[in-house]
Amino acid sequence: MKIMDLAIRTAISATLAVSGVVHAYLYIHGYRDIPAVGPAFLVQGSVFCALAVLILAGGPGWLQLFAAIGAAGSLVAFALSRTVGLFGFTETGWQPAPYAAITVVVEVLTLVLVVTAALRQRPRASKYLLPDLSPDGAAEPSARQG
Amino acid sequence: MSTENDPGGMTRRQLMRHSAWFGAAVVLTVAGGEVISHVAGSSGAAQQATPALRFAQISDSHIGFKGPANTNVTDTFNHAIGQINGLGYTPDFVIHTGDLTHLATPDQFDQVKHMLGELNTPHVFTVPGEHDSTDDAGQKYRQAFGAGTRGDGWYSFDVAGVHVIGLVNTLNMQKLGHLGADQLEFVEKDVAGLSSDIPIIVFSHIPLFAMYPDWGWGTEDAAQALSYLKRFSSVTCLNGHVHQLFSKTEGNVTFYSATTTAYPLPAPGQGPAPKPVTLPAGKLRDALGIREVSYTKGQQALALKDQKLT
Amino acid sequence: MPAMSGMASPPASASATTADAPAPQGGTAVSISDFKFNPATLTVPVGATVTWTNNDEEPHTIAAKDGSFHSPGMDTHGTYSFTFTTPGSYDYMCSIHPFMTGTVVVTK
Repeated sequence: MKIMDLAIRTAISATLAVSGVVHAYLYIHGYRDIPAVGPAFLVQGSVFCALAVLILAGGPGWLQLFAAIGAAGSLVAFALSRTVGLFGFTETGWQPAPYAAITVVVEVLTLVLVVTAALRQRPRASKYLLPDLSPDGAAEPSARQG
Repeated sequence: MSTENDPGGMTRRQLMRHSAWFGAAVVLTVAGGEVISHVAGSSGAAQQATPALRFAQISDSHIGFKGPANTNVTDTFNHAIGQINGLGYTPDFVIHTGDLTHLATPDQFDQVKHMLGELNTPHVFTVPGEHDSTDDAGQKYRQAFGAGTRGDGWYSFDVAGVHVIGLVNTLNMQKLGHLGADQLEFVEKDVAGLSSDIPIIVFSHIPLFAMYPDWGWGTEDAAQALSYLKRFSSVTCLNGHVHQLFSKTEGNVTFYSATTTAYPLPAPGQGPAPKPVTLPAGKLRDALGIREVSYTKGQQALALKDQKLT
Repeated sequence: MPAMSGMASPPASASATTADAPAPQGGTAVSISDFKFNPATLTVPVGATVTWTNNDEEPHTIAAKDGSFHSPGMDTHGTYSFTFTTPGSYDYMCSIHPFMTGTVVVTK
């Protein structure tokens, strides 16, 4: 189980790193001059890379929650930029290729992985359903914390 | 009370632990941001190298306008000119993207020409707005500002390795801006021999993209002109007319609408018509402004900086 | 539609012909406000004189699509009149804001 948790954590970190690096790269190569969207890319790149490092290092669960919120926000912003526009900025299709497609894929993966990790953390059913069978009546709840 | 198994509250140790992680997140984010900014700044040695070209854009001065939205457009235009003169460097040129006058009267053209003469810059370029062509299809405009232009007032020139085209899309309009066959032919021939990595800048009054067609904020035959520019790696279109900042990227072309020095207009669809918006006292200057543009060799995209009227 | 009371004396910049006779009532008047012509379609008998009044802050013009009439620029409160001597349907627009369109239908 621990291996699985570590694997998921590593994967989440990797998806965040990819998304952050791609946004940082695009910022450096032209996106920085776009009003509102430019600075947003800088923030996204910095935050995602920071989260990637800290999640890999085994930080608390709320880091992953922020990562999920960030990934969802990035996906929403991407959708807006292809439709009604984001602060007046629009692009068509999957421009800039292949970066746009890459970030969408990894951000969706981030969401999936964070949800998976969260589901694995929920209290085990056995903690509540099994009757207390120990001889002296003292319950021995699972020592594992959420 | 057991510290490890207390599910309700948080112990002091846990609080410190979480705060430490939060602090680490903040520090890492800021550090990451600094690194990225630094790389962005020095990519192509942009920050350190002097830009090859620096110019200023000013637009929609509407000299002659008298309305509650701005009771003294001359004053705000003068102020904008002063702001350009106070940039700390001499722009290689200044471009006025149209609606210099409000009613195209001879007096208004004289006044604008005189005021533009106050700019500290080697050259001032203009393109006409629809207000500049009231009554006479642009004749008075061309008399004042048409020297060296072709047809209805279009032109092109090269500076510092950049190719600049000035277009007139405010004549013969049907519902939107209109370039016309002669001008389209000019664009096609003008860029035919240029290398695809030369940056192209296009000035026009009305946007060359469909910003809001219901209010005439678009140019019906711009697509054809832009098709002649498709092969270039960097195309930047600067326009006025809409009296607000707006930017959009479509493929290899980025469009930037500039704000005005006169009065604001509503955002697309925010109101029945593109009529002057009267802002609360003291807020007008925030809606007006000028723009600095610079091009540095090695950087594909132009760097823009919009400044409010101070 | 706002009532056209009396003569609207044009400001210096809108050198339009004003009606010296009593102001046009309803039937031959078009008001411009909020970048729209009211009424968008006006029907008049041949020989009638139509008067446009600009109630917008922005200037407008009246330009016939077939070129048969073209007003000078009308500033706020400016007016422009044109007498239709030939029956037909005349589409016009504002040459400054061409998304503003209207029609005058002249009947025999």
